[in-house]
Amino acid sequence: MSTGIAERAVTGGTVFDIGYRSYSGERQGRMRGRMAVFRNGVRTALGIGRSVRAKVLPWFFIVVLNVIALIMVLIAGAAERLGGPGAAEQMDLPSHVDYYGITAIMVFMFAALVAPELLCRDRRERTINLYLVRPLSGTDYVFSRYAAFLAVMLAAVWLPQIALFLGLLLDSPAPLQYLSAHWLDVPRFLAAGVVLALFTTGLAMLVASFTSRRAYASIFLVGVYVVTVPFTAGLSTELAGAAAQWLSMFHLPAIPVHVNDLIFGEVSELTEEAPARQLSASVRVGWYLLWTITPALILWRRYRRLSP
Amino acid sequence: MSEGALLVAERLTMRYGVVVALDDVDFTVPAGITGLLGENGAGKSTAMKLFLGLLRPTAGAVRVLGRDPARDVEVRGRLGYMPEHDCLPSQASAAEFLTHMAEVSGLPPRAARTRAADTLRHTGLFEERYRAMGGYSTGMKQRVKLAQALVHDPAFVFLDEPTAGLDPVGREEMLALVRKTHREFGISVLLSSHLMADVERTCDRIIVIRGGRLVQEGAVDAFTTESATVFIEVDSNRDAVEAALSRRGVAVTRDGARLVIEGADERVYDHVRDALVEAEAPLRRMAPRRRALTELFQREATRDEAVHA
Repeated sequence: MSTGIAERAVTGGTVFDIGYRSYSGERQGRMRGRMAVFRNGVRTALGIGRSVRAKVLPWFFIVVLNVIALIMVLIAGAAERLGGPGAAEQMDLPSHVDYYGITAIMVFMFAALVAPELLCRDRRERTINLYLVRPLSGTDYVFSRYAAFLAVMLAAVWLPQIALFLGLLLDSPAPLQYLSAHWLDVPRFLAAGVVLALFTTGLAMLVASFTSRRAYASIFLVGVYVVTVPFTAGLSTELAGAAAQWLSMFHLPAIPVHVNDLIFGEVSELTEEAPARQLSASVRVGWYLLWTITPALILWRRYRRLSP
Repeated sequence: MSEGALLVAERLTMRYGVVVALDDVDFTVPAGITGLLGENGAGKSTAMKLFLGLLRPTAGAVRVLGRDPARDVEVRGRLGYMPEHDCLPSQASAAEFLTHMAEVSGLPPRAARTRAADTLRHTGLFEERYRAMGGYSTGMKQRVKLAQALVHDPAFVFLDEPTAGLDPVGREEMLALVRKTHREFGISVLLSSHLMADVERTCDRIIVIRGGRLVQEGAVDAFTTESATVFIEVDSNRDAVEAALSRRGVAVTRDGARLVIEGADERVYDHVRDALVEAEAPLRRMAPRRRALTELFQREATRDEAVHA
């Protein structure tokens, strides 16, 4: 409703009060709402538009993940220079298949410290109530937040692998030969990246949904990783047979790496000694799906019927 | 369904286990400013959640803008809601937050930015729009809460205790903004409050809920006119005036130095004139007194207590 134009003379100029203008443009409904929550989630996870302090954690992990890839490139380059062409491959230096195993704990830490920011703050400051009274359901909200963190995780795990691939390609004395021999690594590390990102996102978001305090969620997640990793690794070496195999399946960072191994058709350094490697492929994939789908379903159930 | 009503509640019932929050309530809300009045725990918040489609009623139905908000989430794109409690992200600026909320309500990004700036200007926060909201005063936070409810230009806005926590000046300004929301912006308002003075001064109509049941519904004027009273102040001979009025069959009571006549009509004025002449009392002041809604509420409470006794 326009109230007409009121004119007020001011020395050296004129101020026009154009009154209230109602909005008669396009309304893009629920899909625009989902996209807005998704975009806001990505910005929140990366600290974009926030203080320097909010940027430190996510960007520290992103830089570290890329530095690890850079070190792998430098080592491979040094091996080629010192040992001659093909030396890196002969020395079986860590490559794409090993990268997610090497960085799995770092990726988990990243999820543990950053994912809670997307859910906990909205609940603690009760901003969630303003989302739920808009053309969004609880499912829309949590799906958009989940997708936002998944997108950040994918970028965080794919980027170093792409850098590693380009580094090894450019470092190779015969880049075209390298490309024809290793091009399959690209879809493999992309798929393995999806596997790792889905696993870490689901777990971290589920834990974050149980508390409005980001620190509690992060401490719990870091604690679970810190406790289970040495416990399962240590105890499984003391035991033998099926007990050791199943116990080593609780080595959380290794769960997506077992699937990574199946995608690459090779064994990575993290899972090389793991008794769980003796279990069949279907058991390892089923175990991974259980740990990925169950948290996502519980998360969805928690938000589906949420009301302020 | 009532023609032209923005909100229709039909035999609306909401139970939480054995607790009945709303019990078989029927009312309609037309365009304008309507007050939803009730004490704490009367069922106002439950009613708001039902209107926004956040709860499904145990029985009965609610239609907002002709649609069922629980089944049709899209209708919320034309509704606004200002909650009573804090709900603002402390790290975001008002401009950024309002733009985001406009987008979440379905507006394209460019329109969302324009609407955010316009709405902040109308709610008096334009100068402060780039500051993080964590540093805002209570009054400023209330304004942002109102602004986020209006940023997508809703047809109908629900305000839950908009003056909560405000000092008298802030309260006046907020109520002025609420009136402006309808009279200048053309957005209808349902204002939930337990403060009768706020409702009386701001709303065109009221709905009074008590213990989950509808107590009264109608125009504010009708409530206050219905209980019109005349008070008389004289310089002397007050007892003689009182006696003269009583002889004429006019029920008169004392309120301090005043004489009060309940439910006065035109004939009472003639009796008052005659009584004053007869008692030779110099009249200082005579005026109708409109009853405050507070008294209406007190009367309902007294009636309830009598029934229970």
